[in-house]
Amino acid sequence: MKIVSAIEQKFFSWVDKRSPEQQEVHLRQKNIYILPTRYGWLMLMILILILVASTNYQNNMGFMAGFILLAIGMLSVFYTYRNVRGLKIRALKPQSVYVGQECSFPFEFNNSSESYRSSIGIGLNKKQVEYCDVDSRSKTLFHIKIKANKRGLLEPKRFVCTSIFPFGIFQVWSWFKPSYGALIYPKPIECPQILAPQSHGQEEGAFAQRGSEDFHSLRDYQSGDPIKQVMWKAFARERGLLTKEFEELVGEQHLLTWESVSQYDKELAISYLTDAVIKAEQAGNLYGLELPKVRIEKGQGAEHLHQCLSALALME
Amino acid sequence: MNTQSLPLTRPGIIPILIIVQAIVLSPLWFHLPAWISASTIALLLTRFAVYKKAVHIPSWLILILAICALGGVFLYFRTISGREAGVGLISLMYTFKLLEAKNYRDGALILFISFFILVTAFLYDESILMGVYLLVAMMSILMGLIALNSIQGVAGIRNLGKISGITLLQALPIMLILFFLFPRLSGPLWAMPSQRESGMGIDDEMIPGSMAGLYGFDEIAFRVDFEGEAPPINQMYWRGLALSEFDGIAWKIGVESPLRRDSYPKGSPTYQYRVQLEPHNRRWIFGLEDLIEPPKEKVYLFNNYTWRQSQRVTQRLLYSAQAYQIDYSDIELSQWQRQLNTQLPEDSNEQTREWAIEEYQKVNEPEEFVRYVLSHIRQQNYHYTLLPEVFEQNVIDGFWLDSREGYCEHYASAFVFIMRAAGIPARVVTGYQGGEYNPYGDYYIIRQKDAHAWTEVWLEGEGWRRVDPTAAIHPSRVDDSLLNQTSSRDDWFTDFDSLTTTDSELARTFWRQISLRWDAMQSFWNESLMGYDKDMQFNWLSKVGINNNQWRYLGYALLATILLAGAGFGLWILSQAKSKDKIERAYRRFQRVLEKQGVDIRLYEGPKDLLHRIKQQHPELYPKAERVIKRYISIRYQKSRVSESNQQSFIKTAKSYH
Repeated sequence: MKIVSAIEQKFFSWVDKRSPEQQEVHLRQKNIYILPTRYGWLMLMILILILVASTNYQNNMGFMAGFILLAIGMLSVFYTYRNVRGLKIRALKPQSVYVGQECSFPFEFNNSSESYRSSIGIGLNKKQVEYCDVDSRSKTLFHIKIKANKRGLLEPKRFVCTSIFPFGIFQVWSWFKPSYGALIYPKPIECPQILAPQSHGQEEGAFAQRGSEDFHSLRDYQSGDPIKQVMWKAFARERGLLTKEFEELVGEQHLLTWESVSQYDKELAISYLTDAVIKAEQAGNLYGLELPKVRIEKGQGAEHLHQCLSALALME
Repeated sequence: MNTQSLPLTRPGIIPILIIVQAIVLSPLWFHLPAWISASTIALLLTRFAVYKKAVHIPSWLILILAICALGGVFLYFRTISGREAGVGLISLMYTFKLLEAKNYRDGALILFISFFILVTAFLYDESILMGVYLLVAMMSILMGLIALNSIQGVAGIRNLGKISGITLLQALPIMLILFFLFPRLSGPLWAMPSQRESGMGIDDEMIPGSMAGLYGFDEIAFRVDFEGEAPPINQMYWRGLALSEFDGIAWKIGVESPLRRDSYPKGSPTYQYRVQLEPHNRRWIFGLEDLIEPPKEKVYLFNNYTWRQSQRVTQRLLYSAQAYQIDYSDIELSQWQRQLNTQLPEDSNEQTREWAIEEYQKVNEPEEFVRYVLSHIRQQNYHYTLLPEVFEQNVIDGFWLDSREGYCEHYASAFVFIMRAAGIPARVVTGYQGGEYNPYGDYYIIRQKDAHAWTEVWLEGEGWRRVDPTAAIHPSRVDDSLLNQTSSRDDWFTDFDSLTTTDSELARTFWRQISLRWDAMQSFWNESLMGYDKDMQFNWLSKVGINNNQWRYLGYALLATILLAGAGFGLWILSQAKSKDKIERAYRRFQRVLEKQGVDIRLYEGPKDLLHRIKQQHPELYPKAERVIKRYISIRYQKSRVSESNQQSFIKTAKSYH
């Protein structure tokens, strides 16, 4: 088994060398491979059986049927090849999703020829492909869904574009490596503790008290500076410490820190923070994130959410 | 290969599989035992009902039914390995498979097995209609495969039939070349199981009256193609059997033995001909009189100058033969041959025997006596009819002295009886007489209704002389009304009462021409395609100068064919790509020029976006670039075909861009 996997690895490193990372692949002779499918081998066996039986029974009709079958086998090499030849596939940037969800990788097929391309399959390997048709002289957008199992960058090693059309006797395929990966956010899991201090819930546990030390200093600052809205924006960009005072008027604001969850298992902790970030965004609060190596100042909005989730997704 | 995305539930997949199975099984329904045919039809209907959700069949029931079918086949045939049993079993399992088919794998299996089942039908029938059927069935299987391998199923492919039709048309020439080049063996690889098929033809026992059954039949017994000159039709006596033994009722072959090659009689060759003998499930081989040299291996010349094959003729037999005029000058009739051919049963047909002895005494010379009896038939009131009076006992007495009506069997049998009674060695010969000339294929058709019986008389100093007593009947006494009525061809026209005679005659001639043309096609099919064998293969090889190592040359030729066909198709597909790329190449060149002029070319960008960007970023290039790009768009994204001149003018504009 080891030898097999070693050979496989060697083979794919050779394949990868031949198919460099690219946004668009143009399928042609040098990157199209072809082999019989298992039904192709079955047909070969049936063909041999027919020829042996025809020889034995001196049956010339049997020979005719056998040779038509042989000719169909030969022709299907070309038909199957022609079904993908000249097709251009462009990989587009996939949307980020959470772990456990399906990530959909969009591909654009460009068929500039006159011929209808039927049942073109695309997928991670030849065993998991999804099919679509590409009309003549047209572009078709097609998504393939890949289940996201791990946070971080989902970068499939290679995609395969394949076809067994029309007869399923031969399979053509081509490997290519798209330049885009998908960023997979951690799975949000609700934390049993309250990570961010709520407006009314500050008296629980030691954690909340310890975590609220910063807020006390904030409060001090706030009490020293009564000017609210205008001052907040300016100060927030500079140091991000003035917001508490503001929050009491506009909404809540909190900094989600790694320390607050560091007693949990790492992945679980990341999930808790993810959940907290999402909840904060949904509630319309201002929020910031402090991770061991990354610190994101308080903010709001889709862009900010993506920044926070990316940081969580990529945390080492 | 992922096949989960290609389930059998796609529209039309199950119906097309049912249709394919029905087409593939249909010829077998005529040959398999009725219960097997009925079961397969029932299973197909059930599958359709399941598809329509009219019934639900649990899988355990399918399993039980399949086991019952297996048991049924075994009980019926007492084996499951023979050819008949094998075909029956595989057709049943084939339909059961569809009943329980769930996924792509089952569908693909069914379709590929279809190719094999299709071939089993040809074991029963190789006629020209089966050739047409082969194409239809192949086409249906291909359509099934295309539907199975397309995500849309049957509905999606606009050209389901077109693709399979084109494939089949392209496959035919390759098939023909391979067909003629593929090395053939002269014998079977393993012993063929005996066939129980019945054939039609002349039997080895002649009871006067028995042959009448054949007269109604237009079925072809064999076809003959003469090389060079053909004898006149009334001289075409196709010898089958010589019957020497008479027990009072039936004529039988009696004792006969094959001749060694060195004891063949000598003779002068007369006509050269080639025969396509339809299977009659008997061992005799017909030939134009006289027969000497056996036409094929395993065919032997017997001492009554007839041919026998060691096996029954269960498949169409093709052979070339030479007719001879046997020279009897060195041949003596052996004592036991004389005895055999003068033997008559005791106390039967006494009256005819007495008549013969009496009459012989008048002439007392064998040759004279032959002539005398023939003129007796001609002058006396002897009639030819297919519906003679039937006698229980003393058949010959009844015919010869009493009713005086009958047909060839009666005349031949009475004539030989009379000769023997007079002490002249004589025997009955059965076979066919005459034939119908087919001008469209330049050959003769000999049908079952041409079956005939004549006689041979041994005359000292001359040898065996053929005497046809039936031919001696005076033409005015031949009742041919029945002869013309019996053929099915004529039956066809009896319904058209309204036609005037000339019309019906015209129609008759027309119909006759059509059927002769059709038969000429069949003859060609049988001879050149279905009859193609090792002999024919080696024959044409020697004509092109290959007399040894034939198989090696055939191997080379096969390989060359496959490689050439492959290269041909490859080039064809590549050339399609080239010619289409002319526009693309001109456009690329135009893009490179733009790039030099400072326009950033992005490969993923369509022409419209590119033009838009040029307008914004390089307005000075816009007017010229617009002409090229607009034309490119109209050529590339127009649905209808672009004329050649339009394409040329685009290429010109694009190339002149600077």
